Amino acid sequence: MFNEFRILRRNRSAILISLVVIPFFFTASLGAGRGGEGETYSATSELPIAFIDEDLSEASGRLYESLVRSEDFNMLLQGYREEDALATLGKGGLYAAIVVPEGFEKRLLNNETGIIIVHVDDGSPGVDDAVLSNIDASLSNFNPNPRIKQTGNIEFVGVEIVMKGASFSGFAVGLTITLTMVVVFATFYEIAGGMSRERETGTYSHLLVSPVSLGSIMIGKTLYDVCLNVMRTFIVLGLAIYVYGASIHANLLSLVLSVLFIAILTMGFGFLVSSFGIGVRAVVIIEFFLILFLFAFSGFFIDKELLRGISQTIATVLPWSYGIDILKRTTLIGQPLMSLTYQLQIIAISIILFYGVAYLLLKLSRERLVK
Amino acid sequence: MSEIAIVTKELTKKFGNFTAVDGIHLEIPEGQLFGLLGPNGAGKTTLVRMLCTLLEPSEGTAEIAGYDIVKDAAEVRKRIGVVSDGVSLYKDLTIEENLKLFSTLYDLPSNIAKDRMHNLLDMFNFKEKSKRLVGELSSGWMKKAMIIAALIHDPKILFLDEVTTGLDPQSALALREFTRKLCDEGVTVIWTTHYMTEPEMICDKVGIIFEGRLIQMGTPKELRSSVSEQSLLEIETPNLDHSTLKKIEEIGNICKVTYDDPILKASCIDEGDKQIEESVTKILLDAGAKIRAINTKEPTLEEAFISLTGGEEEIDRFMEKARQKI
Repeated sequence: MFNEFRILRRNRSAILISLVVIPFFFTASLGAGRGGEGETYSATSELPIAFIDEDLSEASGRLYESLVRSEDFNMLLQGYREEDALATLGKGGLYAAIVVPEGFEKRLLNNETGIIIVHVDDGSPGVDDAVLSNIDASLSNFNPNPRIKQTGNIEFVGVEIVMKGASFSGFAVGLTITLTMVVVFATFYEIAGGMSRERETGTYSHLLVSPVSLGSIMIGKTLYDVCLNVMRTFIVLGLAIYVYGASIHANLLSLVLSVLFIAILTMGFGFLVSSFGIGVRAVVIIEFFLILFLFAFSGFFIDKELLRGISQTIATVLPWSYGIDILKRTTLIGQPLMSLTYQLQIIAISIILFYGVAYLLLKLSRERLVK
Repeated sequence: MSEIAIVTKELTKKFGNFTAVDGIHLEIPEGQLFGLLGPNGAGKTTLVRMLCTLLEPSEGTAEIAGYDIVKDAAEVRKRIGVVSDGVSLYKDLTIEENLKLFSTLYDLPSNIAKDRMHNLLDMFNFKEKSKRLVGELSSGWMKKAMIIAALIHDPKILFLDEVTTGLDPQSALALREFTRKLCDEGVTVIWTTHYMTEPEMICDKVGIIFEGRLIQMGTPKELRSSVSEQSLLEIETPNLDHSTLKKIEEIGNICKVTYDDPILKASCIDEGDKQIEESVTKILLDAGAKIRAINTKEPTLEEAFISLTGGEEEIDRFMEKARQKI
């Protein structure tokens, strides 16, 4: 036992991981969950959703009020035209558009089912279900017209919700998750693990006594890993399409580029981590945390739009969530890559930042990294 | 006159409060085989690492082939080859693949690289093993592979850091002979070792490094003489009488005679002076003494090293300090 403590005492990273990082991470996760407990949690309450009232009737006005009152739709925006709302969907401005068509009140008064149309951002799988179930819940308190109850002449039949937007099979969504996981997992290990291994075996020192520059080493490793990731993408896609029959809406080039954005971002992070001179074992531990973070906070399984509080803040700062968003939009709905300028900018800035800081740290810690 | 290959001025390396290399002055001409001798942890490897640009000096300057090791590090790297424990080859590649990789890093035209690779592989009898993974090689072959890789770009200066450690005697001998040949061709070699006998065998000049300081520098002969100019004549001869001993004491150039039956010890001022040996033998034979064995002992570099570093106790104290640091 004392020997174990002696070993631990000499290993600062082990102390840091076992006594600080792991307890802090899990307590913080618990704290984040508790933070949400006091609030009326709603997945859609903070999502900007357009309310387009084409009926302009008392009934449509009351529908708007009941949605707002339910606290499931705190960002219900009015003033959009249907075409504008559809054009904004998927670009981060709007996640859904609720359209109340002309004749809504008339149908209710005629004892017919009122119809509302809900357009969802089909690049955000998961939002459709959340919006639908919350509208459903809000309609239970919906009274289209006080006169209906008072006179008793007209019976309120109900409102039918027509969902518009692509609906994805679990497999198609799973494909984006699989691709991301394969790319992040392999790339991080190849770069950070590769650098650590080179340092531990002394080949990194050999490179440093040759005329090759640090920039060239980084570029060389990046190009090698880009090639590997292209191969990896085709293997995953090949399996998904030809073995499991997945339907891909993406332009192949956009899809490959989307994967490469995530890969290069991860490579930059890998270089950054390797600049701390950690061993291969520590790389594996960090990889575990990275994957855990991505699972929890970047839209791997739960769309980042549906996260709340601290979870959403983490998702907002994690550049991978934008990469995953790009991948989902290009793969699932074939959205052109160049239309995703906001996400692309964040990814580009993050890549430059990761590579720049990694380059500086590798340069500064050169002596520490020599075996 | 030959050019200066390596020059250092007040070269110092500190790690926190610990001074690994302390104000070293060196001037090594082209084509010299310079030995750096010192115990483990004395600062040899740190000095080599600074010279091959892996570490930056804390103070002082150094130039390799006229280029500053800090300001012109890239130029320095083009001109040096390094074989050291912390500088390895890719174990998952064959020796040939490693050589191709490093010749690319040194921008060697492919035809020149190919010729050089074949020559080196031939020279080291590596042809048959060139397609084997480096990781599968024995430590001796691995060392040879590293030397070949360090020579692939025809460096002007070669750093060989503890290269014979772990080598079998034949390989070590072959390596020493090869290194000597390289120096004769104009390559400057820095040979660091903690084996006391090696520098005596091959080095033109030796620097003794201890606790980070270069405490003495000179040819192996100069270093030996710096400790003692005396050689010791040891003769096994039983039952010697007092008058014979007195006659021996009166021989010129003999400074001390002791007799502990049957061993007669005589310290001579001129080392290896055959005349003294003959004179002593003649006196003994004239006196009718029996001579069973004659030995002449000259001071070794090891004795010089121990004397210069303050004796065995001082080395033990230093080694203990070095262990604590580790």
